[in-house]
Amino acid sequence: MKQFNTRFQPYLTLLARLLLGGVLLVAGGLKVTKPTDAANAVAAYKLLPTNIAHLLGYALPWLEVAIALLLIVGIVVRPAAIAGGLIMVIFIGAIASAWARGLVIDCGCFGGGGALDPALADQVHRTYFIEIMRDLGLALTALYLYFFPYGKLSFEKAAVEE
Amino acid sequence: MAKQQVKSGDNTTRWIVIAMVLLVVVTGVVFSLMSQSNKENASLAALDGTKLQPAIVSTIDAANGSAITLNSGQAKAVDIWEDPQCPVCKNFEDANGTYIESLVREKKATVRFHVLSFLGDESVRAANASFCAADEGQYLDFHHALYAVQSPLENSGFLSNDKLVSIGKKIGFNSTKFANCVTKGSKIDLVKANYDSMSKFGVKGTPTVFIDGKLWERKSPDFNLAEFKAAVEAK
Repeated sequence: MKQFNTRFQPYLTLLARLLLGGVLLVAGGLKVTKPTDAANAVAAYKLLPTNIAHLLGYALPWLEVAIALLLIVGIVVRPAAIAGGLIMVIFIGAIASAWARGLVIDCGCFGGGGALDPALADQVHRTYFIEIMRDLGLALTALYLYFFPYGKLSFEKAAVEE
Repeated sequence: MAKQQVKSGDNTTRWIVIAMVLLVVVTGVVFSLMSQSNKENASLAALDGTKLQPAIVSTIDAANGSAITLNSGQAKAVDIWEDPQCPVCKNFEDANGTYIESLVREKKATVRFHVLSFLGDESVRAANASFCAADEGQYLDFHHALYAVQSPLENSGFLSNDKLVSIGKKIGFNSTKFANCVTKGSKIDLVKANYDSMSKFGVKGTPTVFIDGKLWERKSPDFNLAEFKAAVEAK
């Protein structure tokens, strides 16, 4: 395992950067053009006072795009991975809390979002589970990048070339 | 696992990059905020030149969830459940609002508007103001106006009582009675009664429409007048 990692780490890091960066770029990019939808989506979680939720909703798409670009290009990968990982952990917490409180909402992950028809409850609960698993996977990807931020096709290089 | 080490000496560059990224994010937020509030204030201009239509006396139908009832006692009854902030209700209104108004004005049906308020404080204020407008005999005018200026952002601070009064002024309400009713929240009991009646009628979302007591389920992906009209006029 260790050997495997030493050998393929530069490629794994590239893959991880493209995966996390790609998802964040799509998610952020879809929301950047519709800031009010994102703001409504954050407010629908009912975790924050409305105006703070709106502010966060406005910031989130830009933040996602920014982190995505840094990861893809390979600049300040470690801080970007920490930020990306934190965002994923927050998403997991928010979705889990919505699930626990029985809210029936669209996560707003890729645009849209907000309250849904309560008749869709069963379907939405399945969606929550899938979303949490997906974000968990992305959080682990971020963790890998925290340990190994330097790889192929990156502006930043490791101190000692391996 | 050992962490990869950072190349020494580029810490400054690192912080500059991070600061620049944060600057971009903050600029994005400020831009979004400004364009949002500009849009909201500009939306009031949509009401310029609106003329108040002839008044229609409405009643409150306590047996039917305290809805605003127009043309009580017709053979056909249409119940419309909506929240003033609900974006899909705006779509419904854009597609069918004129037709529904014609049902009322031509006395073709009893139309009951159940004004809900589950989308937050601003819906409560807007619902209260709607009942105030009904007292003036101008519910439909106010209803159209609310959807015409609806903000895409819910509870953004847009629908303050002052703004609701000025929406009223824009469409021709000049009585101080309306302004007082809005600012004092005089109709809050009716707002609550409408909200509380949702479960009794099995209403879970908005817009929900009943035609002669039967739930109307739309087949097409968007609201379209032909479909709604056919459903209302079906025997």
